Amino acid sequence: MTLLASAGIGVLETGQQGFDAADRDLWVTSGETRITSAGGGGFENTLYNSRNLSAEMNAHEGVRHAFPLAFDTVYVSTNRSAEFHTFVATGVPQGGPVVQMTEGKGIQGDPHYANGTYEGEMTREVVIDKETAETLNVSIGETVNIGGSLAAARENQFTIVGISPTFERMLGTPTVTMPLSELHQVTGTTQTEPATFITITVEDGASVSTVQQDLEQSYPEYEIRTNQEQLSAVLQEQVLLLAAAGALVLLAIGSGIALTISLLSLVIHQQRQTFAALTAQGISRSLLVSTVIGQGLIIGFVGGGIGILLTLPAVSVFNRLAEAVVGFEGLLQTAPWIYGSGLGIAVIVGTIAAATAGWRISRTPPLELFN
Amino acid sequence: MAGAATASVDSDSSSPIVTARDVTKVYKRGSEPGLIGRIVGRSEPPAVHAVDSVSLEIAPGEIVGLAGSSGSGKSTLLHLLSGLEQPTAGTVSFRETDLAALSARERTRHRLENIGIVFQRFHLLDSLSARANVALPLVELGVPKRERRKRATELLERIGLGDRITHRPGELSGGEQQRVAIARALITDPALVIADEPTGELDTATGQKILEEFKQVAENRTIVLASHDQETLEICDRVIRLRDGAITTRQTQEVNR
Repeated sequence: MTLLASAGIGVLETGQQGFDAADRDLWVTSGETRITSAGGGGFENTLYNSRNLSAEMNAHEGVRHAFPLAFDTVYVSTNRSAEFHTFVATGVPQGGPVVQMTEGKGIQGDPHYANGTYEGEMTREVVIDKETAETLNVSIGETVNIGGSLAAARENQFTIVGISPTFERMLGTPTVTMPLSELHQVTGTTQTEPATFITITVEDGASVSTVQQDLEQSYPEYEIRTNQEQLSAVLQEQVLLLAAAGALVLLAIGSGIALTISLLSLVIHQQRQTFAALTAQGISRSLLVSTVIGQGLIIGFVGGGIGILLTLPAVSVFNRLAEAVVGFEGLLQTAPWIYGSGLGIAVIVGTIAAATAGWRISRTPPLELFN
Repeated sequence: MAGAATASVDSDSSSPIVTARDVTKVYKRGSEPGLIGRIVGRSEPPAVHAVDSVSLEIAPGEIVGLAGSSGSGKSTLLHLLSGLEQPTAGTVSFRETDLAALSARERTRHRLENIGIVFQRFHLLDSLSARANVALPLVELGVPKRERRKRATELLERIGLGDRITHRPGELSGGEQQRVAIARALITDPALVIADEPTGELDTATGQKILEEFKQVAENRTIVLASHDQETLEICDRVIRLRDGAITTRQTQEVNR
């Protein structure tokens, strides 16, 4: 039960942690934020002219940084193969969100933008995540072809300069990260400069909600949300994801209750003739039911305790397995209330099930149980 | 044994412990026809006379065996004598008290205070130790914990299980489990002990040993013992043979006590 609930919570928490990990205070979007139906599942970019807009917002009182951030679906291939894979590419501008590096170096600026002329030299450097590296069987120093179309991909080579889990964790899917201008270049969108978000960090000591309200007044055509609001906005459109995560939690609780009732009923059913013998010897219903409840309590505490003790190593094993198979890290996440619920269900439901079974047995004439 | 029970063995008394007069127990095979069943002519279910006009008296201190093949009515007669079953006709009295006059709750209390029952299968609670299993009826009688433990320990020591008092049933052999069951039947100091095939789950040697210990530890209590095994019945003062629910012979054996 605790494992199933952990999976459900993990699905929900991963999204929350993704937004928290980005270390932004506010998220600006234009219209709905939704997953595209194409390719590897990038966000649909409806926030146009993002460079100028983020520059305006950067100058707003209380705003320390405002950067556009774009996710787009791109084709990627290696030099060794003509086969193209689709990935989500993340475009980050100079000084963009902090990208946590586990190997190599990060993105070094965005010189190609050149104040909107797109005449600067392209760095042709890309950061990928571990799963992308494994999928393409590439490592730092190797080159890959990337483009918004197959033709564009064949013409644009990038060198892998580092490995970073940042956007893979945030999006829950393999990504390639490159300077924003170069993403716009290889996807043919330098004219409209679309972004998925403009992310805003407020000044130290500034109130996030005050800055949010000010920006909402200045830019009423855009949605300006906090981390939590942005996650909710994304998830509200992902009904299937929410339903799956919720169903996992409900399934965990339901199966926990069903298993506990089944186990207790089985244990007590196996002893029904013993209870009949005790009734025959003059043991009263109340003592019989008390004895059964005592058994239920002991089984509940012992079973619940063992379940909790086994959850930690089991979560660790399952998470490693999930990471190896599908690339998700921390798919199962535990919380104190999961442990509490597990123990609570084991003890409370176990006791109720035992009491009910004991009461039923005590109501049955002993000779019927002997037959 | 200090008796918390209200009844105690009275070997000197000449009045019988248990009396059955013209006791008949009829079971019906299947359910009674309902309204539609009667309209379509469904007949009454066949009646089976499990016990048929049985009369007997069992004196204090007697060991009486009930013999007969399977289905002869031994177990049903034991159940009637202990008040677990009510006769269809006739009366069963315990020390001149008609058991049919007692309510279900009173009959349960009567069994607790006056009757010990030993089953073929030991029916011990797996989660309790041997001592706790033996002491359980004393909980019902309201005996304090320290006294319960003392009496259960003493009884288990007398029956040769002094080194097994904290063991659970799963850690005991079949013979040891039956000794625990015998101790549980005797812990309330009952006047009458009912034993239904007490050696049925044991090998012959173990069964004989258990019977000897049973007789010894039961002292002069009245025992009614049902068995189809001749060797088991040899400990009895007399044996009543049943066939199709009726008594066929009453055989008094040489007292081997």
